Amino acid sequence: MEVNNIFGPVDIAISGMRAQHKQMEVISSNVANKRTTDAGKGEPYRRLEAIFKADGDGIGGVSLDEIVKDMSDFHRILDSGNPNADEQGYVLMPNVSLPKEMINLNIAMRAYQANVAILKRYQAMVETALELLR
Amino acid sequence: MGPKTEMSKTSNIIDFLEAGIRAESLRYEAIASNIANLRTPGYRRIGVKFEELLAKALDSSGSADLSEIKAQIHQLNTTPVKSNGNDVNLEVEVGEMVKNTLRHKVYIRVLSKKYRQMELAMNIGK
Repeated sequence: MEVNNIFGPVDIAISGMRAQHKQMEVISSNVANKRTTDAGKGEPYRRLEAIFKADGDGIGGVSLDEIVKDMSDFHRILDSGNPNADEQGYVLMPNVSLPKEMINLNIAMRAYQANVAILKRYQAMVETALELLR
Repeated sequence: MGPKTEMSKTSNIIDFLEAGIRAESLRYEAIASNIANLRTPGYRRIGVKFEELLAKALDSSGSADLSEIKAQIHQLNTTPVKSNGNDVNLEVEVGEMVKNTLRHKVYIRVLSKKYRQMELAMNIGK
């Protein structure tokens, strides 16, 4: 990404907004699949996590690196009436924990707001600079 | 340097600004079209090329014939598409709009400054 120009801050803030947008998408997928016992391959849904990487070494934006699966253990709940239950009556449930997702959602929202704030402030800054031309 | 070249130089700045403002208005249309088609399957985002063309023209000769440089609409077709074949991203469009607005403000400010200078020059004899 080209940051060596007057619109560098705009591009960086937008990349941050896009990253948080993606993060929210991942969170909503996790929340929506909180009780999905079959995500193909005979396994419950596995919680996803978005990994971001910086664009380049120095000053720059952010972009999505990859979306990885959370390999932690599935939750087991006792539900003997469930057709998917094993001999002991346990059902494997996705390893999604709602409180965690809600906290991540809050963080993503705040980060999005922070990027928008930068965008707004930068606009105000350029406008202040333009006052010199009055 | 005779007065004639000076005169053409003045109009040159105004011409450049005018061309820039015209490119921006086209860019606003492109952004509006992109945002309107945010969820249209198969739609690819439209961009406007102007600054690059102008820079290229200025690079080779140092001066550019503005009548030959027109803002161009182009479709990149390289951005990753979503599952429905659409590649518009709202954040990107908002960013483009912010840039366009800032550029617009710069052009308008410089233009009004230029006019004020001319006005000042006209009032000198009074």
